[in-house]
Amino acid sequence: MSHSTVPRTDTEAEAKENPPAAHGGATGATKKPPAGKLSLRLRFRRDRVLLLMTLPAILLVLLFNYVPILGNVVAFQEYDPYISDNGVVSILRSPWVGLENFQRIFEDSAFWNSVQNTLVLFFLQLVLYFPIPILLALLINSVVRPRVRAISQAILYLPHFFSWVLVVAVFQQLLGGAGLLSQLLRQHGYDGLDIMTDPETFKFLITAQSVWKDAGWGIIVFLAALASVSPDLYEAAAMDGANRWRRMWHVTLPALRPVIALLLVLRVGDALTVGFEQILLQRGAVGPGAAEVLDTFVWWNGVRNQDFSYAAAAGLVKGVISLGLVLAANKVAHLMGEQGVYKK
Amino acid sequence: MTPNAAPSSSGPSRRSFLASTAVATAAVAGGMPLLAACGGSDGGSRDGTTSSKDAKKILPAYVASNVVTPDIPSKNGSAVGFTSKLDLAGLKTSVPKKLGKGGKVTIMSPFWGSPPKDGNAYYTSMNDLIGVDVVWQNQDGNTYDQKLGAVLASSEVPDVVVVPGWNMTGKIPSAIIGKFADLGPYLSGDAVKEYPNLAAIPTDAWQRSIFGGKLRGLPMPSSYVTGIVPLYRQDIFEKEGYEVPRSCDEFMALAKDATNAKAKRWACLDMKWTAFNAFGVLSGNEKSLGWNEVDGKLVYRIETEEYLEALEWTRKLFAADVVHPDARLGKSNAADPGPKFAAGEFLIYNQDSSQWWSRTAEQATQNPEFKIWGMDIFGHDGGDPTLWAQNPAGIFAFVNKKASEAVIRDVLAVANVTAAPYGTKEYMATNYGVEGTHYTVKDGVPTKTDQGNIDVMNAYVMVASPAATIAHPDFPEVAKGQVEWQQRMGAFTKKPSFYGMQITEPSRYTNLSNDFEQLEDDVIRGRKKISDVQQAVSDWKSKGGDKLRDWYQKILDENGSAAG
Repeated sequence: MSHSTVPRTDTEAEAKENPPAAHGGATGATKKPPAGKLSLRLRFRRDRVLLLMTLPAILLVLLFNYVPILGNVVAFQEYDPYISDNGVVSILRSPWVGLENFQRIFEDSAFWNSVQNTLVLFFLQLVLYFPIPILLALLINSVVRPRVRAISQAILYLPHFFSWVLVVAVFQQLLGGAGLLSQLLRQHGYDGLDIMTDPETFKFLITAQSVWKDAGWGIIVFLAALASVSPDLYEAAAMDGANRWRRMWHVTLPALRPVIALLLVLRVGDALTVGFEQILLQRGAVGPGAAEVLDTFVWWNGVRNQDFSYAAAAGLVKGVISLGLVLAANKVAHLMGEQGVYKK
Repeated sequence: MTPNAAPSSSGPSRRSFLASTAVATAAVAGGMPLLAACGGSDGGSRDGTTSSKDAKKILPAYVASNVVTPDIPSKNGSAVGFTSKLDLAGLKTSVPKKLGKGGKVTIMSPFWGSPPKDGNAYYTSMNDLIGVDVVWQNQDGNTYDQKLGAVLASSEVPDVVVVPGWNMTGKIPSAIIGKFADLGPYLSGDAVKEYPNLAAIPTDAWQRSIFGGKLRGLPMPSSYVTGIVPLYRQDIFEKEGYEVPRSCDEFMALAKDATNAKAKRWACLDMKWTAFNAFGVLSGNEKSLGWNEVDGKLVYRIETEEYLEALEWTRKLFAADVVHPDARLGKSNAADPGPKFAAGEFLIYNQDSSQWWSRTAEQATQNPEFKIWGMDIFGHDGGDPTLWAQNPAGIFAFVNKKASEAVIRDVLAVANVTAAPYGTKEYMATNYGVEGTHYTVKDGVPTKTDQGNIDVMNAYVMVASPAATIAHPDFPEVAKGQVEWQQRMGAFTKKPSFYGMQITEPSRYTNLSNDFEQLEDDVIRGRKKISDVQQAVSDWKSKGGDKLRDWYQKILDENGSAAG
């Protein structure tokens, strides 16, 4: 990605004007954070109320995110959940197999097929999906009349609240082999198009569905970022003779840059999670060759075939790759001078 | 490699009645006790089968109860048929006293079609009749396999789970043995006499309900003739002058003739199951039925030439664009085909023969022209087909192992009502619902109302049923058609080597053929090639298929073949 030097100074000016408010957060490089001087005990006493307030959240994270991680041991077993009524007892009774499941995975062409599909879909969505909420946000932001703005926002948000079952059904009615479009074409002497069951174009179909459903919802974060841009900057730029496009290039986009970078990093961390329910619903329509992604692979083997250990191993591999990706993306963000998800 | 069953006990089973699983101690593959019997407290043997000698000790006594004499007796393995007018006023009562104790029983069951609302008139009337508060958890029957494993692995297993034999893939048989109660203490021998309608269920259906050496299932007895009928719109066939096809070529010609996509009409849906029957492919209904001894060697259905030929022919149907586009969606298509069939969007589809009647009843009032009929399965070359028997009970209801005796008794009370034979009030209530609400009587003939067609579907009939019966007092000609179809097809039906046995494969092999169904669907839709199937078959052999063959061979040697 390339960027000019002009917006860089703008961003820094912005950053100085609006230092992050959180305790212990990053502040300007010139000032040492005061917290560093206090002993742990003093800091603990000072922040005890805040810490108490975070406790419920931490407990929830521990209970629902960290404790289940322990269940991953079944990846090293020949796990049979049915040998007892208690999951823990089942784990204790299941025989250990070492790395056999991982070995099977690396030899399984279906697994590599799902990895490939996942990555292709991720890059496709990155290119075709990611920029759309930004464009929409800019568009909405340029609407002046509050009524028009509110209505268009509501219309854009609405599809987000439809379930995937509904979205897929709507697409099927419109674009399916016996759908509206196909019948219209046939009645006018053309061949019908079956967009819903074509494995070649399936990835574009999936992306189109995601855009239709969630692009509107995605603009919220960008709109919030745009709202924080001081009107003074636009006025000053206008005074200097900047036209509409130059104002967008030199004021608006630089203001969005940290948010874009953050969302990009988060998106990369989620790269291997490309829409489970949506794809599962349409897996049969194009077959696993085109539709199997890592999540559906894990689901199919674990839940449908009850090969839980194998699925757990695949899930672990996915987790490791995801971690590597997010670290790499964060590194890139740091190199670009952005914060990323955490700061060293 | 590791032992795959329970880590303990690789020696002979401690339980005497498991003597038949001496096969379990056989050492395969480098002396590993692959077939180790589970000697654990909640076990019973996890794989193998139960010999008829051992089964005799736990089977319920049989007490026949013929309330009404059938008009068409069973022949060639068909169900019995009733076609004469039913004396609705003179229905017998087979359950004189409510056996239910008012408890609550949750039942998870596959459902084909659109489930009615909870608390509808059918459910409440049945619950009143039984004296048990049954709460239904209906799940889409077409994707039932995708939910079953997860539900059984959870700690929230419903009181009763209905499992069709074709969903017993992967580790499901192991789950059945591990998670469901032994009904022996309530039903074995004379104990069953407390539930007279259950005592009248034929013994071969009960024999099939023995899982892991114990009586666990409440069976739905069925004819051993295949249940999959190619159903077609007879009214449109007559109007257009189409002949019922008698070979694969005739079918293809007809399909091309009948399809007019511009007018939103296609010939058929996915005809894979019919193709399997036309080409004489061994049954895929249950794993053990897919094996048969040919020239002294066991072969599995996917290894046969016929299997590939059937797939290739079905692929040609899709390639010729004579198949309704909805069928391309495969299992992603959750929609009920009924409305589009009624609208004439396609003329032929294959489904369980029960739809022969249910579609007729659905359309009878609004669509008097509509006539659905079953066509005979044709031999692919125009000759007689070779059909393979399905088992005499294919769907079972199981009771959660954690259920208290009170709950088990309530479940048996439910089953005793749903298994009531034709000619009783209970049969009428189970299959037709409430008079006035779900059906009306005119000239002594019941006619289902719209609400009847919505409410009275699946559900209670899934729990336990009387001996295979076909009786539709509202459409006796359909009942006659169904029974006669079974008798004609029964004449071509052969029994494979493991017919009638309830066999649980060792868990090491249970996942071997999991992905073949998906592969079949890919091939016939042109996304994979026949050579991919051949490759998968050779992988199947090397990954354990050949060892599985040896394992089945041992069972065959011990129990003898059922072929005939």
